[in-house]
Amino acid sequence: MRSRIYTIISGHFKSWYRSKSNIFWTIAFPLLLIVLFGAIFGSGSTKFDLYIQNQDLNGNVPTPLSQGYVSVLNQTGAFNLHMVAAEQPDPLTFVKNDAQLHNRGQRLLVVPLGFNATVMSGNNATIQLFMDQSDQASASLRGIVNSVTVSYAATIAGARDNLVVQQVGIVTRNIRYIDFFIPGVIGMTLLTTGVFGAVNTNGRYRELKIIKKLATTPLSKIEWILGMVGYQMILATISLVVILFFGYAIFGVTVTIDIYTVGLVVAAALLFPGIGMVLANFVREAESADAAANAITFPMMFLAGTFWPRETLPDIMKIIANFMPLTYVNDGLRDALIYAQPAQALTNTIIALGLAAFFIVLGSLLMNWKEE
Amino acid sequence: MSNNLPAPLPGQSDVVVQVEGLSKKYGDNVAVNGISFSLTKGEVFAFLGPNGAGKTTTVEILECLRNPTGGRALVLGYDVSKRSDQAEIRKRIGVLPQDFNAIDRLTVRENIDYFGAMFKRQLDADKLIELVDLKDKRDEQFKKLSGGLKQRVGLAVSLVNDPDVVFLDEPTTGLDPRARRDVWGVIERLKGQGKTVFLTTHYMDEAEYLADIVSIIDHGQIIASGTPDQLIDTHGGKKTLIIRDAGQEGISQLPPGLSKAELRNAGDIAIPLNNGELTNILMSLAQTPLHDKEIEVRRPTLDDVFLNLTGRRVSEEGD
Repeated sequence: MRSRIYTIISGHFKSWYRSKSNIFWTIAFPLLLIVLFGAIFGSGSTKFDLYIQNQDLNGNVPTPLSQGYVSVLNQTGAFNLHMVAAEQPDPLTFVKNDAQLHNRGQRLLVVPLGFNATVMSGNNATIQLFMDQSDQASASLRGIVNSVTVSYAATIAGARDNLVVQQVGIVTRNIRYIDFFIPGVIGMTLLTTGVFGAVNTNGRYRELKIIKKLATTPLSKIEWILGMVGYQMILATISLVVILFFGYAIFGVTVTIDIYTVGLVVAAALLFPGIGMVLANFVREAESADAAANAITFPMMFLAGTFWPRETLPDIMKIIANFMPLTYVNDGLRDALIYAQPAQALTNTIIALGLAAFFIVLGSLLMNWKEE
Repeated sequence: MSNNLPAPLPGQSDVVVQVEGLSKKYGDNVAVNGISFSLTKGEVFAFLGPNGAGKTTTVEILECLRNPTGGRALVLGYDVSKRSDQAEIRKRIGVLPQDFNAIDRLTVRENIDYFGAMFKRQLDADKLIELVDLKDKRDEQFKKLSGGLKQRVGLAVSLVNDPDVVFLDEPTTGLDPRARRDVWGVIERLKGQGKTVFLTTHYMDEAEYLADIVSIIDHGQIIASGTPDQLIDTHGGKKTLIIRDAGQEGISQLPPGLSKAELRNAGDIAIPLNNGELTNILMSLAQTPLHDKEIEVRRPTLDDVFLNLTGRRVSEEGD
């Protein structure tokens, strides 16, 4: 039995790597997408994002010294400054949400109330810089802010040493678009290789009478399906490794590979071929099955959060996305690989595995091994 | 369901296939209607009939791909309707499905190994490649082969487990005449090795050339069985004397007494021959202006047998 399953896997695998179009769609196309989307939506600017809350207002107008300080920071050209309203009671939470929404770094500089008066009175004024120590921009950004502050203090008579920058460590996770996109591309690749792989092997092999021939040998239906799933797992692993390596090498995307990643890959290698098998059995002609596979995979790709966050979709689309299996694979992969949120990864992995069990069993039951 | 078959113990009889009252219905449509036949060891058996006659349905019942709805069929002594027997049958039979293609991107050798791996008992792939004369194409991918060569790969694949009986379903359909001859060559070699072959075909010449025994099936029923010679002698009708290119004028030049002579499309005159008539007719023709025309005697074929039995010729349509 093992030798028969091995033979099925090796037959599929040889057929795969000997087809240039297979290699293109499984390896080159996802990498091409990463490069394209990375270039389009990645950080095109070399400036640092910096949120500023100037609390030192006189009425509604910033005090001269605090305004001057912000202007000097802006004139360095090193920052994209984003102002936070002075009345914002929890600027850190605001920055966290706003930065994620706009794909920016989470860094906040607070000019305190009384800044102007303190400096003028010859006392020390403390400016707080909230930033994650692990932020790659941390050292350069701190350096620039410090030197700007020192230079600015020097221009104020009698305030040479009165401005102090106090760095406050916060824990953030700066998720860039490319960090978000890489797990999406993995999910998309698992989806397409799984669905099309199953449609091809179960639709086309049926047309070519290969399945009929195999059904006259001692090979059983379950061995055939195990062989196909085994092959899909190998492909899924190759896709995962290649995409992650590429993401790291080109965009410095670092990921956490844990048990949930493994669980999700196993789920995907069962789930998507299962969907493909169901399709291949409802749409018997190989060409129509291919069209049906396109009709299923394309909407899933766009709505299940492959290319952009589902939060940006209209409400009705969000609801539809909840019924798409790829949603849970994409979310699970992001939770596991990027966000390092094991609890959410677990939930998504369990849902994906449940869907996988449903579709692979349904596909197996529907598949006609004999000719009845 | 008929249970009149003497059930030979598996592997202990020369009867390889035994079919009694076999039927297959799809709703109201009767694909196979109570047919009976048997096939003994070392025979090449041709199941001959037009498309849609029930050949493939029958052969797929014997291959355990379809369940019969009536009657009984034993292959190598095992009952095709019993699940436990089906496993034994699958180990021992070789099958070339109609329109079979092997895996495109595997080489000839890899395809043989692939299908061979499904069995415990496997023949040496190189010997099979030699048998089907594909030594030069051993490492060629299947998709790059011509139709005839592809079919020879199919034959090799069907023999990979050294089967006790080989089922070849329409093995030469769609092939050009030369490729057909090549496939016939392989089947003749199998015959030479004493293999038992069950062949379905709608080509009369193929059955006549290859088969020891022919069963003609039409509308799900066997209408005649026997050796090709027996079928032709019994149902083929008379031999025919053909006078080539004689035309309408030739008819008027015929000696008296040949009233059954008819003019055929190409201008040939056909005269049905009764036993012992040939010499007299030739002598009388020698006295007419037709004496310098090309003359031949045509023996009836299985095509004539089918025509006489059914009133129509086998065509490729109708499935």
